[in-house]
Amino acid sequence: MKNLFTVRKILFLCLFLSIIFTIFSVYYKIAYWGFDLRPNRTANVWNIDAQISFMPTGQPIKVSLAVPSEPTEFKILNEDMVAKGYQIKKDNDKGRIELTSAPQTQEQTLYYRLTIYDNEDSRGKLREKGVPAPRKPIYDEKQQQTVDEILALAEAFNGSWPQKIISIFNQEPLNPTLAAFLPVKMSEKQRVQFMIDFLALKGIPARIARGVRLEEGRQAAEADLMLEAHDGYKWRLYDIYTGKAGVPKNFIVFQHGGISLLDVQGGTDSRIRFSVLKSVISSFKLAEHRAQLNKLGKLFNYSIYSLPLLEQNTLKWLLVFPLGILVVVLMRNVVGIPTMGTFTPMLIAMSLVKTGFWPGLICFSTIIAIGLVLRAVLSKLNLLLVPRISAVVIFVILIMQIMTITGYRMDWEIASSAVFFPIIITAWIIERASITWEEDGAANATSEIVYSMITAVATYFVISNEYIRHITFAFDEINLVILFIVMLLGTYTGYRLTELKRFTPLAKKS
Amino acid sequence: MWKWLEKYSSPHALKEQGVLGMNARNYKIIAQYNNRRQYPLVDDKVQTKTLAAKAGINTPRLIGVIKYQYQVKDFIYIVKDCPQFVIKPAHGSGGKGVLVIKHWDDDCFVTASEKVLTFKDVYQHISNTLSGLFSLGGQYDVAVIEEMVNFSDMFKDFSYQGVPDVRVIVYKGYPAMAMMRLATAESGGRANLHQGAVGVGLDISTGKTLNAVMHNKPILIHPDTKAELKKLQVPLWREHLIIGAKSYEMTGLGYLGADIVLDKHKGPMMLELNARPGLAIQIANGQGLMNVIKNIDKNYPKGLTPEERVDFLLNITQANPK
Repeated sequence: MKNLFTVRKILFLCLFLSIIFTIFSVYYKIAYWGFDLRPNRTANVWNIDAQISFMPTGQPIKVSLAVPSEPTEFKILNEDMVAKGYQIKKDNDKGRIELTSAPQTQEQTLYYRLTIYDNEDSRGKLREKGVPAPRKPIYDEKQQQTVDEILALAEAFNGSWPQKIISIFNQEPLNPTLAAFLPVKMSEKQRVQFMIDFLALKGIPARIARGVRLEEGRQAAEADLMLEAHDGYKWRLYDIYTGKAGVPKNFIVFQHGGISLLDVQGGTDSRIRFSVLKSVISSFKLAEHRAQLNKLGKLFNYSIYSLPLLEQNTLKWLLVFPLGILVVVLMRNVVGIPTMGTFTPMLIAMSLVKTGFWPGLICFSTIIAIGLVLRAVLSKLNLLLVPRISAVVIFVILIMQIMTITGYRMDWEIASSAVFFPIIITAWIIERASITWEEDGAANATSEIVYSMITAVATYFVISNEYIRHITFAFDEINLVILFIVMLLGTYTGYRLTELKRFTPLAKKS
Repeated sequence: MWKWLEKYSSPHALKEQGVLGMNARNYKIIAQYNNRRQYPLVDDKVQTKTLAAKAGINTPRLIGVIKYQYQVKDFIYIVKDCPQFVIKPAHGSGGKGVLVIKHWDDDCFVTASEKVLTFKDVYQHISNTLSGLFSLGGQYDVAVIEEMVNFSDMFKDFSYQGVPDVRVIVYKGYPAMAMMRLATAESGGRANLHQGAVGVGLDISTGKTLNAVMHNKPILIHPDTKAELKKLQVPLWREHLIIGAKSYEMTGLGYLGADIVLDKHKGPMMLELNARPGLAIQIANGQGLMNVIKNIDKNYPKGLTPEERVDFLLNITQANPK
């Protein structure tokens, strides 16, 4: 008895420690690796290709490209420059990449590739204080009068000043005063420059922001422009058509302010074109990238999630089993349901996951029923054990074959799921049920099968649950807790649920 | 709506009655007092017989053992001097694969239930035994041929066909609880309670009926023979208990079940031992086993011989009748 208590104490201690460890680990994985307690979390990952092309003039070439530097709204997963024969230098302070090369003769094409993912949690935190007062544009008297008139008109619009200005620029039809003031033909950039000038008159610092709107399958697009105005605390982006404030959901800023997006010395006709490709990856794959960003990144290399996808899937399948085993242990030792073979119910449950619940259940029952009939014929022949069970195995294979073929021909998916059941296990169930049938009668045989199926169904509902599967995979430390729970159940000496009924004649009726 | 709950009792109520549950039996008793290394002694009937002979326990005489398939056809030579014999698997349990031949000549074998078999049928039965059809886990087995027990007529009225046997639970060498198992029509002449045999709880000090159950429900008369079960009294009770007590020294198992039958001429004989005896005996006796076990742990002396233990038990229980 003394022995019993020390074993239990040690196990309880282990259970306690494993729970602490699991809690810490779950916290760590959520906080640092970005794991989620919910399954099927995917994040959008954008591949942005910037294609730079220009004609060399024969001078030494120097290309300077503005690139997103530490954008808060996106996390950069990967940056890559394809520029053969160029020296590449990244200037993080200015947020530019500089490429230098000896004079070239042919048209040059360079690629800058950026892979980013959405970092939804940290939007709108770009702060910058002490912005110099804007340089006011100089107009002649007549122009000044017109501008004042326009600003007076703009005042009538809703929103902040940048929004008022954007609204008046996008009024349909354009206000005649403004239309007369602006050139007939102007580029998008010029339009934004006029807005900036007008805002300067109101004392609001503003600048152009260039970036890429992330839309699926954009090809050879020009950089998108936005207006950025400082509200005294931070820079705010405004859509130049709608006036909507804030960073649009799918927009990455490459460059802020007046400096150009691309500068090419020693070349003419320089152009930059963007292509955008969206891909969805699971949060596990992302987690790897995230993990590399923090100090304990090395730890990740020894976790499941650094494995190739195929192995990950296999492990995901395996890692849910401990919980299934726990169900079997509970059913047998705490509830007290007798099953055929210790883990037969679990193997059936595994097959049910592959076939689907009802189709699997119907199909399996059919196999067992046909198998029992054939086995009854077999028992008349009085064969020896090994040949007999072998014959049952072959029967099972034949039944599965026939069911699958008929299922396919008749378009019954239920029947064609027959192949997923473990042949040997099925054969043993038939053999055992048949022996029980002969010795203890049909009722006992049926109840044996039914009890096994009840346990299998309970196990099925546990291991097929998407949440449970996700959690046992993402937070695999939980299996350590399950291990100690199972071991502790090995010291459980209380009554089984079924015994409460079985021994009732012994209890004193009060 | 809650009526079904009445079929259940609270764990507390069972504990109060000292009911031993399956988990407690396995963990607190079998795992503590039964060394796994000793299991083969009771699981293999050939070994059990040899050991029993050394310990001075009466068992049905061993006629022969058939180990290999090529020997099967020669079984007739093994039994040629025996008008009656029993074939059983060495590793069988629960009476599976037991073939009782009470009369035979040439190609005609009459079983205990008056079935007539041919040489081929018996040959087939032995083959099946060797291939493990009746054995625990289906492993290869050997067939044991032993003398048939001439059952005492004492229990003729109490059992429908089959053999009534006494099961004695022995804890640390002290007989703790006993019951007699009576075959019924429903149990097919077998003495297994879960198949519908009648379990009669016996007073450990006298061998008289305490209580009788069938399918876990109390009964007063045998469903087939209509015998009044209260009248059952096992003769030579002390000898029964001594067989149980001796099997402790014989096997070293702290918790075991001894199955004993009564022979007309030779008295009580041990048929087999069980290292994991079931718990239904509690229902048959109408009392929990845990109380008895605790009492043995606390009050019964250690280091006595089997006979001394039985006498101690008989004295102490007769001094404090229930």
